[in-house]
Amino acid sequence: METGEEFGPWLARQLKLAGKTQAELAEELGLTRAAVSAWITGRSTPRPTVMADIAKALGTDVSTVHTRTTDTRSGLPLTWYHRPGYPDGGRDLGNAAAFAFDADVQVLARETCQNSLDERLTDNGRPVRVRYTLHELTGEALDAFRDAILWNELFPHYSAVSEIAGHQKVGRVVDAGVRDMYEKGRLVLLRVDDYNASGLTGDDYADGKFAAVVRRQLESLKSGTAAGGSYGLGKATLWATSALGLVLINSTLSVPHEGRTERRVIGRLELPWREVNGEPYAGPAWFGRPDPDSPGARVVRSWWADEETVARLHLTRDSDEPGTSFLIVGAHDVASLEGSVSEGDDEITEEEGSEDTRDIRRMHRRLVEALGRDFWAAMTGGGGRLPLLEVSVRALRNGEEVVPEQQVDPSVEQPSRTRALRAYYEGATVDRLTEAGQVAARTVPLKLPLQGGARGTLGTHQAVLLVTEAEDRDGTKNQVHSLRGNRMTVRKAGVPRLPVGTNPFQAVLLVGEAAGESAPFAQEAEEFLRAAEPPEHDRWGQTEELTLRWSPSAYRRISMLTSEVNNAVRDLVARPRRGNQGGGEALRKALTVRKRPKAKAPSGPVIPVLEGLEATIGDGGEWQITAEVSIPKGDQVVPMVPIAQLDVRSGGRPRLEWAELVAVEGCEVQDGTLRFAPGIRSATFRGATDITSHPVRTSLTRLVLELRAGKGE
Amino acid sequence: MKIYPYKRLNRPITLRVTSVSLRLPDGTRDRLETTAYSTQQQAVALGIAGHDDWSSATIGLSATLPPGADAPDAAWSDLRVLAVLTDGETNVRTSTELTRDTENGRDWSGSVEVLRDDHLGRASLAVYAVGTVDGVRGRSIAETDRSWVVDTVSDEPVRGLRLEVQKASFSRSSRDWLRVYADAPWVVDTSARVPTVFVNTDVEGVMGLLDSKGSGVDSKVRDLLVAQMATDVWTAVFHSAIGDLEVEPGSGPVFPTDWQGEVLREMLPDVVPGVHVEEALRQVHRRRTGESGWAELQTRIHYAAVRRAEASRALGYVIRALEQMNRESET
Repeated sequence: METGEEFGPWLARQLKLAGKTQAELAEELGLTRAAVSAWITGRSTPRPTVMADIAKALGTDVSTVHTRTTDTRSGLPLTWYHRPGYPDGGRDLGNAAAFAFDADVQVLARETCQNSLDERLTDNGRPVRVRYTLHELTGEALDAFRDAILWNELFPHYSAVSEIAGHQKVGRVVDAGVRDMYEKGRLVLLRVDDYNASGLTGDDYADGKFAAVVRRQLESLKSGTAAGGSYGLGKATLWATSALGLVLINSTLSVPHEGRTERRVIGRLELPWREVNGEPYAGPAWFGRPDPDSPGARVVRSWWADEETVARLHLTRDSDEPGTSFLIVGAHDVASLEGSVSEGDDEITEEEGSEDTRDIRRMHRRLVEALGRDFWAAMTGGGGRLPLLEVSVRALRNGEEVVPEQQVDPSVEQPSRTRALRAYYEGATVDRLTEAGQVAARTVPLKLPLQGGARGTLGTHQAVLLVTEAEDRDGTKNQVHSLRGNRMTVRKAGVPRLPVGTNPFQAVLLVGEAAGESAPFAQEAEEFLRAAEPPEHDRWGQTEELTLRWSPSAYRRISMLTSEVNNAVRDLVARPRRGNQGGGEALRKALTVRKRPKAKAPSGPVIPVLEGLEATIGDGGEWQITAEVSIPKGDQVVPMVPIAQLDVRSGGRPRLEWAELVAVEGCEVQDGTLRFAPGIRSATFRGATDITSHPVRTSLTRLVLELRAGKGE
Repeated sequence: MKIYPYKRLNRPITLRVTSVSLRLPDGTRDRLETTAYSTQQQAVALGIAGHDDWSSATIGLSATLPPGADAPDAAWSDLRVLAVLTDGETNVRTSTELTRDTENGRDWSGSVEVLRDDHLGRASLAVYAVGTVDGVRGRSIAETDRSWVVDTVSDEPVRGLRLEVQKASFSRSSRDWLRVYADAPWVVDTSARVPTVFVNTDVEGVMGLLDSKGSGVDSKVRDLLVAQMATDVWTAVFHSAIGDLEVEPGSGPVFPTDWQGEVLREMLPDVVPGVHVEEALRQVHRRRTGESGWAELQTRIHYAAVRRAEASRALGYVIRALEQMNRESET
């Protein structure tokens, strides 16, 4: 049996939820108010017989009072709270943060996975496990889910938004989302779970992770110096991915709140300003328990749900390990349309056609691809070091598996970079590459500037550069991927000025805390680079923060690092320029025998070419051939002589005589020469070789057929 | 078009070089950096480390067979994979058997030993999958479609043949024969292993001009000079190659397998346009040895050389640079 929270705080909250005072309860139980007060402050506990009375008074059963793992159902039921319109009449037609992102599961993967990495519980040394579940609901399952989220209460709000849909983006998206659900009778839920993460801790309203995600915009709470800025702008991608603007959350906390950890649930809806039944609403809405402390008990807060409720909301977590589950209701992936042209041919197109933005198989594939691309480093361990992150993706339809759970394997998604990092962790790197598959390591200096605009250098951080041979699966060749402490690929850049013929490679640059704890100035470098990172976390360069905390020219230190890195890479993969052996480079280049575009074909008679050939060995041991000839457009066609020869390894080819040469179509044969009628573009002829001209047994020969102009000499 | 009298695999084998090492006279081994080979150019340069005295080289290989080689209904049995190193100049052919990396896998690997004494310059490296077909052993089922080039001398893994450039003081060179040409700025020697251009350092400033960098008029003049030299070289190597053909009785001239073959394959399409190179070779040979037509061909040979030397582009640049200079001096 689960251990519930302390009796005192539990009872206090139940009273608050039920809108009762201690005195009222005391009166119902026939006890003094002091006795109830003693329970609440924890000075005493009620006798078992009194427990039954308390249960009755709270409108619940005895076991709930004993276990105290959930709130009673007394008091105000779960509901939606829509923020009222601003008194000044202002209208927000969409959430600015969410507006910045388009629906793209790859961006979602990047942002959510990064949040999970940042919220990883570091003490146990284990990776944070993240799982993406795509779940398509239809029929009864869809109806049941809609009941669970009180769809009927929401519907008037969606209708109101649809009415103004023509005028602005968010409205149009929501309108399309609702229509898709009704027309196609389906709804895609995309759930993002993390385990071994901190969970949404803290109070419902005061500072804390819970409030940062559920109540606020743009607030970024960083758990450590290496963090990429968790639950900041990026959390808006959750809502941007939902065509209905709706996300439900179930969190298991690493630090108890109100004495509890499991099944803290709340929903948040992002809609534009709207008017329903004459009442204006500002935009956001929350799904939860009305808070008796709020004015008129209308504002809702998170509640501690029971197992049945989370199951109905599709929010059941696998274990009591801390972490958060986000359920994106009505997930869609507009960005997938862009890449759909170049997709592989192995994909079975869903009946909806290739322009469906809610195809769970395609979303599955795009998630795996993005996770592999952005988080291969965090998923890589080695040398006794566990990976920081484990990610899997699965797809379901009404609870049935459509694509089985697949753990994203970095050595499959990014083979050479993963090999590089693993070799580094295992200490198996080399100084120079002498064999394919080796990993070369170098240190590259990053000179850190002094803070506050002062001139000079604080110290030199030694970043680690890894270079290895590229594999086909890695994507673009000759790239440097740069990582900081959170092991997320921040920067991808090609190396310029590589000589022609350089063997394809991939390079990884580990900077800051990724370069190892022992690297000098690792923390300072980490801090410096984080400041140089824009909210997209996709490059390092000039940012406002960098200018303010360091100096306007501080970003040049990053350019210097880049050029050092490029030099080091070139030194490892490119041939060193040899001393001049006489004669300029220009002359040597001019004297290279290489294929040049062929000369223009001359005007005049056109020359037919052999287009197809079929050959078998006849009963008499002769080669029997049927050949197709294609004739270029021209007024005059050169007569051609077919020559049968035997292929040899060196020297001249023995020539075979024809026993028979017959025109089949489009040509005629005269004295072993093919003549073509003008205007005809293709011809066929047949032939058999003269067995007496064969120098060896025919089954041991290879036949070469040529067409020669002129006499066939 | 080529036809085999038995079933084969349609797709080629892919071959990769994975390592290169040299055995030195003192018995030690120098493992060369991966820059000694180029996967894109499919070339290995054994001269890259600057060792002149290596005795043998070991080239590590990995080959991937096309799908279907292990099909249960295949027409062949006893599948084996061989790496074959062929030298067209010395007629040396070395075969090494590769071993399968994993059971039933498509990757095979091994290494070939390149003995320095067996080769003059460029050898080609191919991989064959062979098996027993209809009771005949060792029949080729699939090959690499493009051989790797193993150059025992070059210091740069490039596929295209590089003609040599050397500088020497013609009047004081240890090569006595150069003294005769003491007043020439450069000469071409086509009798060497690889055609070589000797640049006469007695002509003051010629090396400086050839090595000049930058974008001024100097470099334009350098390009023009290079184009002039290259035209000479291409003309000389073509004549040298065409004059040295081996003729098979009954079937005409045979394509040379060394640098001459490479030069001819490169230039013939411009000399006799519109026909297959083998046909072009026969025509050129006929004209040279026959009664007529050789003189008429000279213009085409010259055209082919000028085109290779990119002479018109170099000339255009010089003219433009000069025009600009004149304009500047006028204002």
